[in-house]
This record gives sequence, C-alpha cells and structure tokens, in this order.
Amino acid sequence: MSDENDPDPSGGMDHARLLETLAGAEATRLKALAEMLLPLLPAPEVLKSGTGLVMLPMRDTVQGTDFHLGEVLVAEAHLRLPSGIEGYGMVTGRDLERAMAMAVVDAAAAEGVQPEAIARFLHAEAARIAAADRDILRAVEATRVEMETF
Amino acid sequence: MAYVATRGGERAIAQSERLYREGLGPIDRDRVAAVADALPWLVDRVMGEASLYEPELAALALAQTGGDLYEAVLLLRAWRTTQPRLAIARPVTQDRLFTHRRISAAFKDIPGGQILGPTLDYSHRILATEVLEGRPLTPAPVQKADRPAPPHHPSLAAWQKAQGLVADPAPEEVAPEAIPDLTREPLLFPAPRAHRLQGLARADSGGVLALGYSAMRGHGNAHPTVNELRLAEAELRVPHPRGTVFSAGRVKVSQAEVAAKEGGTRIRLGFAATLGWNEVKVIAAATLDLNAPGAAKGTPTEEEFFLYHTEPVEASGFCIHFKLPHYVTFQSALDAMRDANARKTQPPADPLLRCENTLGGSGGRSAPGAPHAPAHPAKETTE
Repeated sequence: MSDENDPDPSGGMDHARLLETLAGAEATRLKALAEMLLPLLPAPEVLKSGTGLVMLPMRDTVQGTDFHLGEVLVAEAHLRLPSGIEGYGMVTGRDLERAMAMAVVDAAAAEGVQPEAIARFLHAEAARIAAADRDILRAVEATRVEMETF
Repeated sequence: MAYVATRGGERAIAQSERLYREGLGPIDRDRVAAVADALPWLVDRVMGEASLYEPELAALALAQTGGDLYEAVLLLRAWRTTQPRLAIARPVTQDRLFTHRRISAAFKDIPGGQILGPTLDYSHRILATEVLEGRPLTPAPVQKADRPAPPHHPSLAAWQKAQGLVADPAPEEVAPEAIPDLTREPLLFPAPRAHRLQGLARADSGGVLALGYSAMRGHGNAHPTVNELRLAEAELRVPHPRGTVFSAGRVKVSQAEVAAKEGGTRIRLGFAATLGWNEVKVIAAATLDLNAPGAAKGTPTEEEFFLYHTEPVEASGFCIHFKLPHYVTFQSALDAMRDANARKTQPPADPLLRCENTLGGSGGRSAPGAPHAPAHPAKETTE
C-alpha cells in the first residue's frame, strides 16, 4: 500500500482530492451525478457494498505512542468495470447509496466518462466544502483571546 | 451450586418490559433526530464510551433507553460486534486536527495562539426558567471574524520538546495493524501504553472524573495544569484499492495534555483523548496518565486500578448483577449466622467430646461450640 496519490485528469484534481471531495459532497447531488453516469458506463461488477468499522488510531503527543481512539462506522462500496478499472467509495455513516455513488463517480472519472460534468461537480463541491470550512473557522477565530498577566 | 426458578416469570418479565417501554413511548425517526439535534454533547459522550463513532446510532441508543447512559453504551457496544472491521485508518496527529478549540492554562503565549471555541468557561450558568413560561432561549449569532482561524495548529508539546522542557523519547514506529487493540486482546498488566490510552479513551466519563478528581485533590503524586486542550475534528484517512490515501470524512475528537513539574528542570506530561467532544473526561484521564508512573498498588492512580474500574460496560454490568437472584448465596449466609447464634446460646460442650471433635473433625463440620468453628458466614458467590 502506498501513500502516493495518483494524478487524475478529472477536474484537474489528484486522486486523493477527488476522493475527499466525493466523500464530502452533498449526498443528494452526488447520487444524482452517479445516476446520470451509470447508464453511460459498461455494467460494473459490484465487489463490495456494506457498512463496517474503521479503527481510528491517534498518536500520543507525550511519548509518540500510536493507540486506538475508537471505531468509526462507515459505508463502503467497491466495483469493477469490464475494463478492469475499479471504483471505490467510503463515507462516514450508514448511507450505502452515497458510498456506491462515490464508487460510480470514481470509476467513471478513471474510465474517462463525462469528464467535464465530473469536473464541474468536483469544483462546485470543493468550493462548497471550502466555504463551509471557512465559515466555521471565521466563527472559531472570533473566539481568539490574548492572555495577559498583571 | 444451586439455581432458582421463577414461576410465572415469563408473563411478568414481558409485562415489566412493556411497562418500561410504555414509559418511553414510541421511538421514531423524529425522536432520534430530536435527540441528535438537542443533545450533541451527550451523543458525543456516549460515542466515546461506546468506542463507536456514529451520531445517529448514538442518538437512537439514547432514545431507546430513555437516556440511561449505561444501557445506551451497552446497546452500541453490542451492535458494534455485528459489523466487520474494514480497515485501520492512518494515525491522527495533533498538528493535522481541524481545530475548533485550543487552550493552555500553563502557557499564555502558545504557538498559534489560544482559541476558546464553543465553551461556557467564562459564562454565568443560570437556568433559563423563562423557557418554561413560553419565552424561548434563542442564542445570539456569533459575530464572525473577517478572516478564518487557521484550520491546523502546531503541537505545543512538540515546541516544549524542542525547547528541552519535556522529555522527547523516540516514537516507536508501529504499523497500524500492529497497534495493540483492547477489542481483540485481553488487558494485562503492566499494560502497553497503547492499551492504557485506548482504555481511557473508551472509559466511563464519571468514573474517570471520580478517580482523576481524587488525584487532583491530593491522592496522586502530581497536581495537573492543562498544558493543552483541544476540541477538534480528525480526518478518517483510509486507503483506496489503488493505494491512494484519502479522507472518508471527519469525526469529532477531544484531547488533553496535563503538565506537572518533574524534578527541578523539566515538565512531565500526561495525555488522553477520546472520540467526541468531552473535555472533562480527557482532562481527568490525562491526570490519571500523569499520575500513573510510580503509583502504589491499589490506589486510584494506579494503572490497573483505574483501567479496571472505569470500564463502563463491565462496571455497570457487575453492579447491576447484584439485583439478580442471590437467594441461595444469601440463604447460605443466613444459615451460617443462625449456626453462630445457636452456638452462642448453647451450654459449653463436654471437654472430652470437644477433644474428640478437634482430633477427628478434619474435613467435616465442627460440633457446636468447637473452638475452631467458623465465626463468619461463607464468602458470597454468584449463583
């Protein structure tokens, strides 16, 4: 297993950014995109579709020990196109359709199906996610304090 | 060993469950959504103790149990066993946390600054009784800053290590699959640090607070100061089949470091973290971690003591098992008491008989009045 993030032509995003954007995309819009792409893809073989647990380790800041913080429930989907290209989706929560939609878009992007539509979707969702984060962080910044000792 | 049968119990048990559930009323999606919306801190607490992050399921467990936290944690821990483990995520590091709150009580000028985040730390706590008179408590909106806070903040402990203020042991590189895991291995002592921190992460908040508080009040060997406290979101970074590592979403986490002076030249730190936002728990748990080295056997800050006694499902389960039938055990204790009382009221036995009983009585019950007759009831055992 590698930490290398493959470049991907879809949307000009690397593969990790594409996957993170899909995982964070608004569920209804993601499913609508997958519905649009699915008829354009050769019939995929579904390898996995289900919920399960991902253990989340954390690194202790005192001694640098990795330990398990707890498990996170996720929905996972994995499919393969006749060309051998695989699509994969994993999202936090229990929404199997959302995970499958992510896998469909991942496979379509790798297969080169509707790249403009996928790129538009990715850019719109990435901008929405960034705006939501920025909104949170503006509220967080409002609580910054400067401490003084008298 | 003896067993007690309950006659007519099936109907009574069914009706008792109905009585319990009738008191809660119908549980539907709207109620679960209302619990999730209205009680996010409680949902977080339950997820941390259940060691399972899924807010909707935690809200369901709370709704289904009417807010009985131990029952809710038990439901979630049990449900968790129905799910396969799909992966182990990449370890979360402090400097990659999407931070909402980050404060230090030890250093006022920490790199990255102090951010209060969502808190009532400096607010009056006044019960809003006007709500009951029809005047809703509507929060004023946050007046947001023009520019956003940085999403990530540097680690204070890393800065302290660089300054030589804190010991900097070389971290042990362990593959995620090789990290010790309490859900798959027994807890043995002395515990690996990974087991201790995992045990504290899933510990009962109240139990950890009670033991941590005892250390804070003087029953430990070090008085804590909060070195750094964070409420944040951590990315769940998982591998794609093609090898790409990506975030499948964020989960809320809390973490605390507490500090105490070590000797004359250094600071000693304790650490704890948990799923969800629960800062009382992580401060108390970090205090236990800080105090554990060198703690005397059987004291609240000894590792074995606090890990065994703050496991919520085992502790609550053992506690409530005492309300289940113990009639035979207790009857045995009563018999022993009656025997003892009867011996007290009988005249002294013939000295010759007493001698015979003493010489020949091994393996059998002593005669009344025998000098070595048991003076205490038998130790109670579970039926």
